Amino acid sequence: MTVPFNDPIPLGLDRDPISPDLSYWGDVRKRFFRNKLAVAGLTVFFILVLLAIFGPLIWSGDFKNARSGFENFRLFNSKAVLGTDDLGRDMLRRTVRGLGISLRLAAAVTIAVTLLGMVLGGLAGYFGGWIDNVLGRLIDALYAVPYVIIGIAFIAIFGRSFWTVMGTLVFTGWLSTARLFRASVLQVRSQDFIEAARATGAGSKRIILQHVVPNALPPVVVSIAFSIAGAILAESIYSFLAIGFIEPTPALGVMIRQARGNFQAYPHQLFVPASVLILLTLSIVFVGDGLRDALDPKLRGAE
Amino acid sequence: MGSYLLKRLGLTIFVVWAALTFMFVLIELMPGDAVQAKAGEKAVGSAIEANMRAKYGLDKPVIVRYGKYLGNLVQGDLGFSFKNDRSVNTDLKETMKNSLRLLLWGGIVQIGGSLLFGFISAAKKGSWLDKFTTTGSVAIQAIPVFVTGLLAQVLFGVIPVQTFKAQWLNFNFAWPIDGWKLGILPPNFKAIVLPAIVVGVVQMAFLARLLRSSMLEVLRADYLRTAAAKGLPRRTVLVKHAMRNALIPYVTAAGLALVEIFGIAVQTETVFGIYGIGSKVAEAASIQDGPVVLGLSTVVILAAALVTLLIDFSYSLLDPRIRVGDKVAV
Repeated sequence: MTVPFNDPIPLGLDRDPISPDLSYWGDVRKRFFRNKLAVAGLTVFFILVLLAIFGPLIWSGDFKNARSGFENFRLFNSKAVLGTDDLGRDMLRRTVRGLGISLRLAAAVTIAVTLLGMVLGGLAGYFGGWIDNVLGRLIDALYAVPYVIIGIAFIAIFGRSFWTVMGTLVFTGWLSTARLFRASVLQVRSQDFIEAARATGAGSKRIILQHVVPNALPPVVVSIAFSIAGAILAESIYSFLAIGFIEPTPALGVMIRQARGNFQAYPHQLFVPASVLILLTLSIVFVGDGLRDALDPKLRGAE
Repeated sequence: MGSYLLKRLGLTIFVVWAALTFMFVLIELMPGDAVQAKAGEKAVGSAIEANMRAKYGLDKPVIVRYGKYLGNLVQGDLGFSFKNDRSVNTDLKETMKNSLRLLLWGGIVQIGGSLLFGFISAAKKGSWLDKFTTTGSVAIQAIPVFVTGLLAQVLFGVIPVQTFKAQWLNFNFAWPIDGWKLGILPPNFKAIVLPAIVVGVVQMAFLARLLRSSMLEVLRADYLRTAAAKGLPRRTVLVKHAMRNALIPYVTAAGLALVEIFGIAVQTETVFGIYGIGSKVAEAASIQDGPVVLGLSTVVILAAALVTLLIDFSYSLLDPRIRVGDKVAV
């Protein structure tokens, strides 16, 4: 799956590697919180997380089964604040659960993708040689495969479940993290302080864990934010194309798919899940963008 | 030079082969085969079943079928859908023109828009237009294409019709299969403008931002200070010196973006109900029709590889540094 966040992420390597880490990250934090859009994004994101956690407890009740009469209420109805869908199901109840599905999936996918990408990309970048070549060609080949075919095959082989959707997203998502971390490690590896460490007799393990990984980390921090947004986007696309979750699971993509035939007469059925999805991904992306700027010392004073 | 091109070609062939093999294995692993697809849930007599398997070559071992898939592909045969008893070639022939037309207009939006916004944004750095472009490009990339498509339909289709009784656009996307006019003529233009924008806008945003940052980087270079210092007009400096050099990374990224456009076309065609390769793949995927997805994906992979190769070659002609070295520094 190709997620469109392949903007070049600046590697935060221009900083002095000898200076204590605290001041760098403290500086990053200061610059991040000066960015209004990023702070707004963080606030909205926290509100949405709270909604996803406590929403299902507050608005409990049936959200899966069609109600008799199929009453399709509009927005701000006394019986349903966000209206109901064409099967008479409460939109609010479904939306908060959809939010939860997106966030849980994105968290799981991001953890897996980041670990996998860091290990494989790190190995390729540090050792180079045939490992790098094999991995590079593998990534090229997998990038070429359209995500639709991976989606349908995984569902047919493993059955439709949360874990299958997660597996599909991890399978397509680790490629970009691996590429990014490989490039980052490559850049760190060629620096003088690594050679100095090797000259003092440090082994590979020590060099990797003590010197390479901490210095190659800043772009990964940014990629984590974009991985979360990317996983949410990808899940909604899979669900919309019926190769991810399907009815009656209240995933946001499923709800939008359901609204397709109905939005001319009842636009709220499209607007509610679509705006929640947009708010969610936008808030994360603005946080990621703020992080990117904060982590890149080259931009200091440029704004 | 020659050895570089040869190496590049060999690498591309290898990557394409690996991708095709991976897809074949995926489709092979899907449970249920053609006979089950045709027979449905009903039990078919074992003699009939064996007959059908022999007819479609399904009695052969996997490796033979794999050889046949590649062999047929070389001869231009993309496979056969058992679900609706059609050759995938027929599907391709019917859907290709609509997809190409959409991609052509989407590409115009993408390239034209990104050049315009990227250039202005870099030239007037810090202005409200620059802020709008940089923030907007981040925002657009965060919204899934199918949502953009649906919201655009509401905004430009449903609302004008319902409130102003004005039919601004034509939402009859059932374009004639043999109408091969690229949608230039008026009735077609009304139908194509919205899908073209939706297809192009995501990568337009990405490319505009990329052009902006690479132009700003070039603008910091010493030779541009020299150009400005010797009194060249700002427009000459921007267009002739900065833009031209900033275009090198832009061309690479635009080529890669072109490869990725299929994933976007799948959503756009589905949302607008355009009968194209993307919507056909999505439809086949939703009914688990493996051969159609495999056959059409194969075409997409081959087309993407061809485009990448062409861009790579033209790029190596443009930039002499690549001709000398054996690795493309991208």
